Formats: sequence, C-alpha cells, structure tokens
Amino acid sequence: MLLATHENVLTIVQAKFSCTEIVKALHLNASIKQKTWIDENRILALVEHELTYALFIIISEKLKPESISDLTIERAIPIDQHFFCDTDLIPETYSHIVFNIAYKNIKLHFTIEIGFESSNFASEVIRSKEVSVDNDKDFKWLDKYTVGIASITLLDTDMSDQSPDLPIARQKIAQGYEKSANRESLLRYQLSLKEPEYTHQQEFSIFVGTWNVNGQPPTISLKNWLSVDDEPPDVYAIGFQELDLSKEAFLMFDTPREAEWRKAIMDAIHPDTKYRSVAYVRLVGMQLEVLVNNSHYKHVKNVAIDTVGTGILGKMGNKGGVAVRLELHNTSLCFVNAHLAAGVEEVDRRNQDYNDINQRANFRRHPYTIREHDQVYWLGDLNYRITEQTAFQVKKHLANDDLSSVLLADQLNQQKDLSKVLQDYTEGDITFQPTYKFDLNTDIYDTSEKARAPAWTDRILWRGKGIHQIAYRSHMDLKISDHKPVSGLFKSEISVIDQNKYRKVHEELLKKMDKLENEFLPQVTVDQTEVTFDLVKFREPQYKDIIIANTGQVLAEFEFIKKLDDVSYCKDWLSITPFSGCIRPGEKCDLRLTVNLEQPLETIYDILVLHLIGGKDMFITVSGECQRSCFTTSIATLSRAPVPLLQLTPDQFKHAENQQSPVLYSVPRELWLLIDYLYRNGLKTRELFETSALHEEVIRIRDWLDLGSMDPIPGSIYAVAEALLLFLSYTRDPIIPYHLHDTCIAAASNYQNCKQIIMQKMLDLDRNVFLYLVMFLQELLKCSNENGTDAKTLATIFGDILLRDPVRNSRPQANRGKASFIYHFLINDQSPLIMPSGLQKYEQNDGRINCWAYSIIGQKNNCDDNLRKYWEYPDAEDPFALSEDFLKDGNFKPDNDGNQSSKDTQSSEN
Amino acid sequence: MANRTPAAQRPNGSTQGKICQFKLVLLGESAVGKSSLVLRFVKGQFHEYQESTIGAAFLTQTVCLDDTTVKFEIWDTAGQERYHSLAPMYYRGAQAAIVVYDITNQDTFGRAKTWVKELQRQANPNIVIALAGNKHDLMNKRMVEYEEAQAYAEENGLLFMETSAKTAMNVNDIFLAIAKKLPKNEQTAGPGGSGQGRRLVEGDTGAKTAGNCCK
Ligand SMILES: Nc1nc2c(ncn2[C@@H]2O[C@H](COP(=O)(O)OP(=O)(O)O)[C@@H](O)[C@H]2O)c(=O)[nH]1
Ligand SMILES: [Mg+2]
Repeated sequence: MLLATHENVLTIVQAKFSCTEIVKALHLNASIKQKTWIDENRILALVEHELTYALFIIISEKLKPESISDLTIERAIPIDQHFFCDTDLIPETYSHIVFNIAYKNIKLHFTIEIGFESSNFASEVIRSKEVSVDNDKDFKWLDKYTVGIASITLLDTDMSDQSPDLPIARQKIAQGYEKSANRESLLRYQLSLKEPEYTHQQEFSIFVGTWNVNGQPPTISLKNWLSVDDEPPDVYAIGFQELDLSKEAFLMFDTPREAEWRKAIMDAIHPDTKYRSVAYVRLVGMQLEVLVNNSHYKHVKNVAIDTVGTGILGKMGNKGGVAVRLELHNTSLCFVNAHLAAGVEEVDRRNQDYNDINQRANFRRHPYTIREHDQVYWLGDLNYRITEQTAFQVKKHLANDDLSSVLLADQLNQQKDLSKVLQDYTEGDITFQPTYKFDLNTDIYDTSEKARAPAWTDRILWRGKGIHQIAYRSHMDLKISDHKPVSGLFKSEISVIDQNKYRKVHEELLKKMDKLENEFLPQVTVDQTEVTFDLVKFREPQYKDIIIANTGQVLAEFEFIKKLDDVSYCKDWLSITPFSGCIRPGEKCDLRLTVNLEQPLETIYDILVLHLIGGKDMFITVSGECQRSCFTTSIATLSRAPVPLLQLTPDQFKHAENQQSPVLYSVPRELWLLIDYLYRNGLKTRELFETSALHEEVIRIRDWLDLGSMDPIPGSIYAVAEALLLFLSYTRDPIIPYHLHDTCIAAASNYQNCKQIIMQKMLDLDRNVFLYLVMFLQELLKCSNENGTDAKTLATIFGDILLRDPVRNSRPQANRGKASFIYHFLINDQSPLIMPSGLQKYEQNDGRINCWAYSIIGQKNNCDDNLRKYWEYPDAEDPFALSEDFLKDGNFKPDNDGNQSSKDTQSSEN
Repeated sequence: MANRTPAAQRPNGSTQGKICQFKLVLLGESAVGKSSLVLRFVKGQFHEYQESTIGAAFLTQTVCLDDTTVKFEIWDTAGQERYHSLAPMYYRGAQAAIVVYDITNQDTFGRAKTWVKELQRQANPNIVIALAGNKHDLMNKRMVEYEEAQAYAEENGLLFMETSAKTAMNVNDIFLAIAKKLPKNEQTAGPGGSGQGRRLVEGDTGAKTAGNCCK
C-alpha cells in the first residue's frame, strides 16, 4: 500500500529495477546521520524478487525524484536471517522516529517522519523479514547492484552490539491493523531474545548410530553397537540404510524388516533406563528412529518427519534421506539419515543428493527446513569413497595403522573442503577403520573381483552450538552386513526452561506490550459532543463545524460508523464532510455537519458514532427544532387547515391532521396560490419549469405560503414554478401513492388503463390535485407557441415528480414509463373527468375545485376573481354564497356522458 | 550474543500457553466507576475527577493464568441513559461483561439489574457476566447491602465482588475471575468474533483493513 502522492515516485523507482524485481514499499526522505555517510536525500525501497526481499538505499537528486536519472542505487541489503530492523522513538519528539537496520555488523539509523508512511514501511519490512527467515534464499539477483560498491561490512563504524529490543513492536502495534495476529509472533520473538533470562543449558547425551545392513535380517544382537557406553544416553537416533533390498520394499513401500529391526533396537538399547520412541520414519530402505529416555518424554514437543527420495528419476526412495525434527525442552533438534548415490565416481551426484535433501525436506511447520534447527545431526551411508588410491595402497596404509594418509584421499573430506557438501557441518576425527566393504560375516575387506578400495562410507556429522562429541567409532563385532555400524556419542547443550522465570519474563513482556499497545492507541478529542442546530427549515441548509484533534502519538484514522440496524452512519437529513479521514499526531481536522431538511419532522435528533480505527468510539449528539412547512405536509392535512400552516395553533394542526375532520378545500390553498399565479402570469414564459430560480426566492415563497401574507408573492415567475415543483416533490405522501407506482408505469401504454387508475384507485384529494395540475398544464400547452413548451417535456418533468419512486433515485429506466403515463393526460381532454367527480363529492360544502377548473380551462366567470380574493386573503368574505349562486345559475353543467359520470361516482365511493 | 542463531527462527513456540482474546464490555449507570475500574486495572491509577465517558473507550490488558494467557479488549461504555440504544453495539459479540453499580446508590443497583436482564436477553448466550459493587471504600454511606447483591448474583449465575477503584480492592481479582471462567477451547468463535475466545495463530494475518483515506 502506497501513499497516493507516491504513486509517481513508485513508477520512477520501479524503473530502476527489472520487471521481476517489484518495489513493494517506499519511504521517501530518509535521512541518515552517521559519520561515514554523506548527508544526501535518500529513499528506502523494499524490493521483492521471487519471494526474496531486499532493502535498497537510493540516493535521489531531488526530494521527490522526477525521473529515473535522479536516482542512484547506493546499497542493496538482502533481507535474510542476518537482517534486523526496528524503530526507536527519539526522546522528546513525536515527529520523527529512528528506523534501525542491522545487517551482519553494519548498523544504519535512518531518521524518518512518524506517520502512515513510516509505520507502513516499517511493518512491510518487518513482514518481509518474517517470511525470509524461513528458507535459504538465493540473493544472486542483488549481485548486479553491489558491483562497484565496497563491501558492505567494512564501511560502518558503529559496531556496538545492541540487540533489537521491544521498540520493534511499536510501529506495528501502533498500526492497529492485524495487531492481534502479529502479537503472538512478536511475543515469541521478544521471548526468544530474552531466552537466556529464563533458560539454562543442560547437557544431554545423544547417541547417533548409522548402519547399512545390506538387506539382511537382524539375526544378531545390536547390543555391541547400541549399549557399549557405561551411561545410558538421553536420546538415541538410529538410522539404517538398505533395510530391505527386495523389489517389494522398493515398489510396495512395505517390508517385514521394519518391525524386525525396530524390535532389534528395542532389545539392544541401554538396559539401565527405559526409553520411548518419539518418532520413526522410513523411506524404502532408509529408516530412522528417535528414542528418548522416558523421563524426558514430556519435554519433547513438535515432532515432525519428512522424507526425500533422490533415487531413480531423482525422486524414488532407493536413495535420499529421512529426517526427524523435534524440540527437546527449548532446543530444536533435527536428525537426518541419508543414503546418497553409490558408485566411486558419483561424487557430484552425491553432492546433488545432499543439496536436494536440504532443499526439499520440509516439516510443514516452523521451522520448515533442516538448517534452521539449533542442532542438526547428519548421519548415514553417504557413500563417499577413496579415489586417488588403489585398494592395494589403501589396505597397505591401513595395515600400518596409517589412517591419515587414507583420509587425505577421502572424497567427503575433499568435497567438504571445497564447500561442495555438508559445508558448515563438523565431523569428529576418524580413528576407526573404513566401514565398507567387507565380505559378509568377516572383518575382511572386499575380496570379490571388483576388489573395491575400503572407504568410510558411513559417517556422522553435526551442526549447531553446544555439541561436543565424546566418541566416534565403528562396531566391528556386527558382521552380517558388508558395512560395519558407526556411532557417535555427543554431549549436547540443551536449553532448559525454568518455568518460574519463564512465566515472569512472559508476564513482564505482556505487560510491556499492553502498555505500548495502549499508549499507541489512536487518541483524538472533539471540541463538542453536542451539536445543536438553530431552527431547521425546509430546504434551507445549515451547517456546524466540529474540530477533531489528534492528541495521541500515532496517526488517527477515523470514520463515522453505522449503529446497529441503521442503514447509514447518519440520518438522511444530515451530511458529514469528511465522514472519514486520517489525522497526523498533533494535527486537527474540521468536520462540517450540514442539515438539509426535506421531510416533515418536528425535531431532528441523531447520535453519531465517531470510530477511531483500532481505538475508541466517541458519540456526538446532533439535535435541533424544525419548522413545519406546507412543502412537507400531506395534501390531506393542508386541505383541512383553515389558515396558513404557521398560523395554526397546535390544536388546529392536530385537528387538520385528523382524517375525520371535514375537508375544507378541494385542493390545498398553497397549491392553488402557486398554480393560479402561474396561470395568470406565466403561461407565456419560456422554459418555465426548466429555469432554476434563486434559492432565496424559493425560500421566501416558502415562508410566504407558510406564514400567510397579504404581500404579493415574493419571487420571480421561475421561483414560483420551482416552488410548485418542490411542493409536488416533497408532499409527505406522493400525489400518486407509492402502491400505485408500478401499476401506473405498467399501464403507461394505454390511456384507458391510466385513466382508470386515476379515477378508481386514487383518493379524491389526490385526484383533485392531479387533475387540477393537469388542467393547468394543458393551459400551458395551449400557449406553446409563445412559451415553447411541449407535452413531452412537461410529461417528463412532472412524470418524475408525480410518480415519485418508492426509494429515491431508483430505476431511472422507469422514467419513460412515467412520462408516457402523464403524457396521456396532457393531450386528452380532461374536462369530462373533472366536473362530475368534483361536483358530486363536494357539492355540499365546496364547489370550488370546479370553479378553478373552469377558470383554468377557460370558462371564465366571476367566481374566479372572488375565489382568488378569498384564497389570497383568508379574512375576505366567504365565497360560499357566491358559489352556490354560481351553481344555481346553471353555468356549471355535469358532463353529458352518463356512463363516465356514474363510473366516477362509484369509484369515489369505493 | 553476536553469533547466536537469529532469534526469530528459534523454535520455542512450544513453551508458551495459548493466548485467547476476549471482548469485555463494562455497563452500568454513569458515575458508578466503570472508567475508574478500567483505569485501575490497566494502568494502576485512580483519578478523583474522572472525565465522564461520551462514547466507548477502548483499552487492552492481558492476564496470565496458569496455562493460558487471556487478553481482554475492554470497551468502557458511556452510562447515560440517552446512549442506551448504542450499548448493543458493544455488548453484542462480547464474551464478558462487568455490570457495575455504586454501593452508595440504590438506584444504580436497580439499573444494574436491568442491564443484566438486557444482557441475558440480547447478548451472546454464553456471555460471562460479573456484577461489581463499586466504591467499597465508601462503606459508611452504603445503601446496597452486600447480601442482597450477593443473593441476586447467585440467582442469576453472575460473578460478584464488591470493588473499589480507589483502593484497588478486588479490581484485578474480578477481571481474573472472569478470565478463569471464560471458555478457552480453541476455535469455537463464530464469524464476527462472537462466541468464545479466539485462539490467535501465527500467520493468521487477518484481513488488512486498509485505511480508506490514505491510499
Ligand atoms: N470513592 C470512590 N470513588 C470512585 C470509585 N470509583 C470511581 N469513583 C469516582 O466516581 C466518579 C465517577 O467515576 P467514573 O469512573 O467516571 O464512572 P463511570 O461514569 O461509571 O465511568 C469519579 O469521580 C471517580 O473518581 C471508588 O471506588 N471509590
Ligand atoms: Mg466512564
């Protein structure tokens, strides 16, 4: 993960490397203040090549390189088992840390700025180190970068031996991510550093034996091999080769010899104590058994085995090795029983087998490979011969007890000196005669035609600390094979844990880690946890700022989180910018909370949960009082409200909200005011509904409607048009109810169906609004020559508003259906629909809808002006009488279409 | 030291007991001393004027048992009634809860009982609940009798101790008692961390939740 700002730099740095060498992480601006280092702009880069990692120190001409020519690779440090890194705090400063790198005896201290970049980089490097220690890695790819650079080990002066201590944990812990996952490995690492504090070395005697039995059954006792020492050893590791030479053993992997030889071992081990087998493994003829003294059994842990065949086809089990690994107390041991390629001349093949075993043995747990163990015992028929001397010469030297002359010609010694095999293994002095090849059941070297030169094919070597060989010998009494068995007795230092001390160290470390972890948790303060808004009004956004300050020592990454069962981290009337972010230690961040009320609420209230990633949560309470508006009130309520909304007493409002209260107006007064104004003043205005108005004007019209005013409407014709659109968009319930939404769209292709929905399924008040609006739009269309509008445009605009989506902004593809639905009503004559229903429903108390409809559809009469007067000025004279007159006058006639009218009657009664 | 085998690859993993991680939540009326108990337990401190918690504070602390190590992720919640609806965010998925009341205030004990009820209904059914009667040092103003609380705790299968964040009395003990009572069998935790203690395995790097602001 790289900082966005570094993306360009990454590309430039990557260009320095081949395509198989991937830049994984970067740190710009790493300064180094050590004597032998010139103060330059340096970049640290973590580069991966085939799962090996290296840290590159790159000099950059510029603080931020702009081209590849700005960069010079200064150092390449392989990240292998010699590589260590950690971070240190600089006392009194919280802005920078020291990033320490140790490689063999070089120590580098980079000062880098604390922050996301540094913690990320440090943890990437630490992680790469963790994956690197597991295997022997090939770092040849680094060679090309180190040519011409003085050997890395000579340069540095600071040789003080300081082991990486706890600080390594800090950035990682502070990081917050995956901290618990790292914790155990971190703890293990720290514990291992403190190992001397809770362990002591105790000598264990380990008996290692190897014998190529030439496929013979155990017809003799093995006592003279396994029980020749006075003291019983603590551990036995006994390996055989050529346990069974039969085809069956090779092909079926099964042999009766296995059990026979295991029994022979058990019969022959030291009688003075009891042993238990801890592991046993066989591959064809190679068998290895590890036994421990009963009393140590419970201190043996994590036993694992593996086998590697290197024989036919390079994988069959006629040659190769078998291995057992285990932990005895706190020391890891690995025993490898190998049978390498035969043949005098096959030296390279044997070396190859050795390498294959090393590379391929894998214990599928940590540590995976042979070499990673504290102690390795390598035994077996390694098959190295004597080449430079004839059998005759060898036998002559042996007759003279001159072993050393022969040993000079020993292939194993020679190959080892050339570092071709068992490079860092040790072998004790050989003081016994070659163990191969004897005539069976004799002590006589090969008398066959081949007359091979005697050789020390059977060997035991070791690797690791604290191993002391006590004896290295052959056992000439066991004659059934053409090899003689060999054994090595070792006194080996095993690290034993003192449980009490261990517990103490363990607990102390945990405490330290807890402390660090808590100390490095992200910490912030907010300047207020109660945000109260002033009176919140419809579509009049208000904001309040809060300040978050990072008072902790690490980067604080924050975000607002959802409460259980909530869909979002805040209510939909609120928005927070930014709703997540990062704040560096000591820095602040302003958050803006904006309310924009579009729904009918009396108060707003929400508790926000501000979460710090990897840390605490803080609650911020947002509240405020809301002002009612006709824009978010239901048609039903408005039609029952005797006076403008904000003039209503609470009781009056309750009364208006009550569905049982009488309907006072067929359409809400507010709607009438808007439409009537547009009808009188806007029919000839171009792009009436497509021109956006000043927000303040719309707000003024809102207040004018809500408060009720004698003043002329306070806004341009466009503001009134926009107010109308808003009114229809935000009414508490959509004009066409949600449950009809899909039905309407489905019916959109057929006018009769659409008409039926409107006439039969809608509530009367909603239908009034719908038809009233439609009548007005038709008037608008009549003037299309002047205003330039057309039915399609209006249908699109109003379709979206009248057929409000159940979930806002869903399914834009439905818009066409909505438009065509409305379109029908714009191009067909609606007067037959209006008159009967409006009249019949409200003839008792209100004929006004019909009057407006008439006023709009052009049948002007005096009711028009009087009504307007009444509606605009609520205190004006009641026009009822007038309307009754008007009705009596018979100016108003129901439609002649009787069918239509009776249908409508039915529907309104439904 | 200089030529030791690199420590990181030493195979001494066998010598440690396992580390189990548990989420623990503190609940109770505001001002009964929840934050103070945590502060005492984690840092060994006590503040006469403990800032009131507006949110949910987070700290971690490890306790060592004979064979296991228990790491608590402690969520100290705000006690005010108006934050009540947010409490489930913290006790859902918690394996342990300490419900705290103030022995000098009978109302807080009543409130504690309703918390216990809520936990029994809504929290993880295996949750280990401890009841802490805090401010034991103010014995002379005691309003809630030890026996009464003790009997209530027994009836409801709760751990119970009277504690004092001020004098540290029983503070470590109550956490330790919880640690002991928590089930430590491996991998019983369901997804989302509810259920029981999560055994942390090496190499379990977890999903790296990258910061969404700094990429
Ligand atoms: N005497 C006494 N006072 C306490 C004790 N625990 C907490 N307090 C005080 O009680 C007040 C509220 O404590 P606090 O931890 O903030 O309670 P919370 O709201 O439950 O987190 C603070 O003034 C503390 O100093 C206690 O054990 N004894
Ligand atoms: Mg608190």
